[in-house]
Amino acid sequence: MRIGRTVAGRQARAAWMFLAPGLALLTLFTAWPLLRTAYLSFTEYSLLTPPEWVGLANYRELIADDQVMNALQNTVIYAVVVTPVTIALALALAMALNAKFFGRGIVRTAVFVPFVVSLAVVSIAFRFLLDPNYGLVTHWLDGVGLAPTQGALAQPGTAMAAVMAVGVWKNVGFYMVMFLAGLQSIPRDLYEAAQLDGASRLQKLSTVTMPLLSNQTMLVSILAAIASFQVFDQIKVMTNGGPAMSTETLVVMVNRVGINNLEFGYGSAVSVLLLLLILLLSMAQYFYFGRKQVRY
Amino acid sequence: MRLTRRTCIAAGAALALTAGLAACSDGGSTDDGGPVTLTMWHGLTGPDGPAFQEVVDNFNDSQDEVTIEAEALPWDSLYQQFLTAATSDDGPDLVAMSASRLPQYAERGVLAPTDDFYADDTYMDTSVLAEGAVQASVFDGVNYGVPLNLGPVLMYWNKALFEEAGLDPEAPPTTWEEFEEMIPDLTVDEDGDGTPEQYPIAMGDHSTVPVFPSFLWNGGGGVVSDDGTTSLLGDPATVETAEHWVNLVREEQITPVGMSGADSDQLFQAELAAITINGPWMTAGLTEAGLDFDVTVPMAGPEGQSILGDVVSMTISQRLTDAEKDAAFQFFAYWESVESQATWANGSGFPAIRTDMPGDAVTNEWAAVFGAPEVLDNVRPYLTGVPGSGEINEDIFTPALQSALNGTGEVADLFPAAGEQIQAILDDGS
Repeated sequence: MRIGRTVAGRQARAAWMFLAPGLALLTLFTAWPLLRTAYLSFTEYSLLTPPEWVGLANYRELIADDQVMNALQNTVIYAVVVTPVTIALALALAMALNAKFFGRGIVRTAVFVPFVVSLAVVSIAFRFLLDPNYGLVTHWLDGVGLAPTQGALAQPGTAMAAVMAVGVWKNVGFYMVMFLAGLQSIPRDLYEAAQLDGASRLQKLSTVTMPLLSNQTMLVSILAAIASFQVFDQIKVMTNGGPAMSTETLVVMVNRVGINNLEFGYGSAVSVLLLLLILLLSMAQYFYFGRKQVRY
Repeated sequence: MRLTRRTCIAAGAALALTAGLAACSDGGSTDDGGPVTLTMWHGLTGPDGPAFQEVVDNFNDSQDEVTIEAEALPWDSLYQQFLTAATSDDGPDLVAMSASRLPQYAERGVLAPTDDFYADDTYMDTSVLAEGAVQASVFDGVNYGVPLNLGPVLMYWNKALFEEAGLDPEAPPTTWEEFEEMIPDLTVDEDGDGTPEQYPIAMGDHSTVPVFPSFLWNGGGGVVSDDGTTSLLGDPATVETAEHWVNLVREEQITPVGMSGADSDQLFQAELAAITINGPWMTAGLTEAGLDFDVTVPMAGPEGQSILGDVVSMTISQRLTDAEKDAAFQFFAYWESVESQATWANGSGFPAIRTDMPGDAVTNEWAAVFGAPEVLDNVRPYLTGVPGSGEINEDIFTPALQSALNGTGEVADLFPAAGEQIQAILDDGS
């Protein structure tokens, strides 16, 4: 027993030593900012003067703030549209590009490349493409009579649609690669067995592909949903939350009240609201997909 | 290692040397009358940057007691970096900032007052400085800055487009009525699709110099009263003026909707708009682009012809010692001297801040136009001395204006509601 405890102790010590650098980084860059944000959400803090404890005042203000409700609504709309569209498109592209055809590598690269380009660069490029006077996309839309008269980014009705389209285009390649990896791990013999049983393509998709992709689907769903809830840079560059705050999401709002208005305490309270939203959503997704997970 | 006497002496000497070097690297600022080095951040990254640096170099060469180390950063970066720098000892000693931003920092004790600079003639006779530029840095009765520049926002017109429209290229509109008569001539919709290819005027509605608020002034209204205590957005004169201009935009399509200041500049430079209203910083680019343009005072409204004045003030950190503050004031006085202001005006196209410049000192034609007495006498800064000015303009006024211009709401509903929000901020600030 004594020897066993010693061995176990040594193993545990070694494990902790291996984990220590990662844990230290996690503590420094994730846990500490998280705790600090939670603390600051109960204070009035301008960064220029020490935080002043105000209790629940920021949360009371938050509940009654129309701008928070507007940002929350925009965030939810963005996430509810962009997340499923991105996932569905990524899955469709993965299945299409899993088949063998000439130039497959080039097409896969073309779909993936937007993900590795800086989002700020992408956003600036799309601002030019959507410009009402010089934009190529506006010119094409004009050709079929669909061009917004003031430019897509200048009208509240179309600005959100434009930033959502860019969000989907930017990230779909990354999720496609994840689905592609999942598809390639599905044994061929399962499809052959299904074929022998006379399964149609739709039945193969519903009984073989989708159940065996449940891990990837869960991961992609959680990542895509979190990314949607945290959307910031493309909106900051493309519309800065405008026009008339029609594209302001919670993270864009946090940036505005913190950096522009020096209300870091209130901004922290909005951040905590966003954290709770993402936490709840991730847990719901985890339990939902956990029940649907299938192994053959 | 065994510590010997020699090792200890060497270590002590190294420590002393390190401490000495550290002291030297801290800008060389001393309190005992020795030379003082001050760091300064400013956002003059355009054609105005070299003119400013030339004056700084001249000052540094003119004496041995004070050295100014100026660093140019884009305005956005400057404000963001200053946030964290202001709370540490590593921040700049002097910072140039828009006068409308100044209350945000002054009310939190980050900046030191500059009242001593204006108190007597120790540094200079400050009565010769443009009053509007000096008053722009006053917050709560205390002056926290010295003007670096004054940018009157004037009306640019494209003479070639006026000529093409059959209008006199030397006769820009002087009143709103005259402008409205010119709208059909200056609007070009070649393909008849209802969207003009050329607009009478280019006006941004966000991230821009606040042209729209200056229209409200000249219609008898405004955003906030001059004393910074009362919101004016719900006043009948404001609502009526705003409705008038919103109708011109929505019905007559005098300008595209949803443009930023940069978009508006681009539209005018591309000769897709005949008129724009902007500061002196635009002249260099338009001249370089070969545009046939001229500049004059903006058209008068029924209730006046106030000219928006954009003021950048030089501020000092609250942590400066008396010796450092004295050094900063020496530089400020040098900056405001006739010689420096001539260098600045001729190099940048901005007007001189002094009102007593000799007739032959300013040779830059644009500096002369922007510095004309009838301009400087009517210059009015926007939201200076008002705490929460950024929030008032960016978070409340601009969205209300955009909603009205986009037709998602009516001025009569949006402006009074926005006015109530602004009043709450003003009451909170007081």
